[in-house]
Amino acid sequence: MPPYQGGGDMIRSVSFEKTIYNDLPYKFEAGTPHIAGVIGLGVAIDYISSIGLDRIEAYEQELLKYGTEKLLQIPDLRLIGTAKHKSAILSFVLGEAHAHDIGTILDRQGIAIRAGHHCAMPVMERFNVPATTRASLAFYNTREEIDRLVAALHEVTEVFR
Amino acid sequence: MNGDIRELYQQMIMDHNKNPRNFHAMAGADRTVEGYNPLCGDHFKVYLKLEGDVIKDISFDGSGCAISKSSASMMTAALKGKTRGEAKALFEEVHKMLSRGIDEPFDAAKVGKLATLGGVCEFPARVKCASLAWHTMLEGLEPTGKQVTTE
Repeated sequence: MPPYQGGGDMIRSVSFEKTIYNDLPYKFEAGTPHIAGVIGLGVAIDYISSIGLDRIEAYEQELLKYGTEKLLQIPDLRLIGTAKHKSAILSFVLGEAHAHDIGTILDRQGIAIRAGHHCAMPVMERFNVPATTRASLAFYNTREEIDRLVAALHEVTEVFR
Repeated sequence: MNGDIRELYQQMIMDHNKNPRNFHAMAGADRTVEGYNPLCGDHFKVYLKLEGDVIKDISFDGSGCAISKSSASMMTAALKGKTRGEAKALFEEVHKMLSRGIDEPFDAAKVGKLATLGGVCEFPARVKCASLAWHTMLEGLEPTGKQVTTE
């Protein structure tokens, strides 16, 4: 396979007659590699390990339970995806409000969610759900933030009444 | 509630979203054009009945967010009975209004009721929603054969 780009380290020797490329993986890693990224990844792995994946998962599941209970109290909110064992994400539709309108209203409150078909067009078409709003919870999120999400969703309902 | 959210989702916009005008397919339309924003899913068809230079009838159907749907609805209400030239001129004015800088004024008299869409320019991510139906309509008047999208 020929190299897809040229640059430092991907060459062994060059003359007018011929070019010899370096061994793999260097042949495909022209130029300065993403050194800062590699160091950052190492630090991130150390950080996650220092907390512990088990603890992170337990906390996220606790948040998920709390968020699920809170969201289900909102009138006309329907959770999409209610598997017993699932990651800490809350996907939902809310009354007549379109996911992108919800997204704009939440954004103005500093709440970042994902809206749309989540790279799952065929299954969403199958169940006739044009778009959902999805809040993803991570170990740095808090119960207070879920309360803020719920308050903002009440505002959405207010706008779309 | 956040002031510019109120400004964006004004009563008239919410009314057009809930009770869209001219919201139906049109039998015997002279032009049927599809406008689609695949990333956000806004998907409409605009139907035109032309008589000489005049837009005799215009309707739309499809689905999308409140901004895209109410913009489409208001557009059909504004363009019925207009000439191609008038429709094109209104397209230009609406386009100017939607894509202007936040602090730049616009001439509300030129767009009439459509001025309620003026708050959209504060939400750059939503300009594509408000403009989709308009570009779809324009493709009907001046076909280029290209898929209409504002993403």
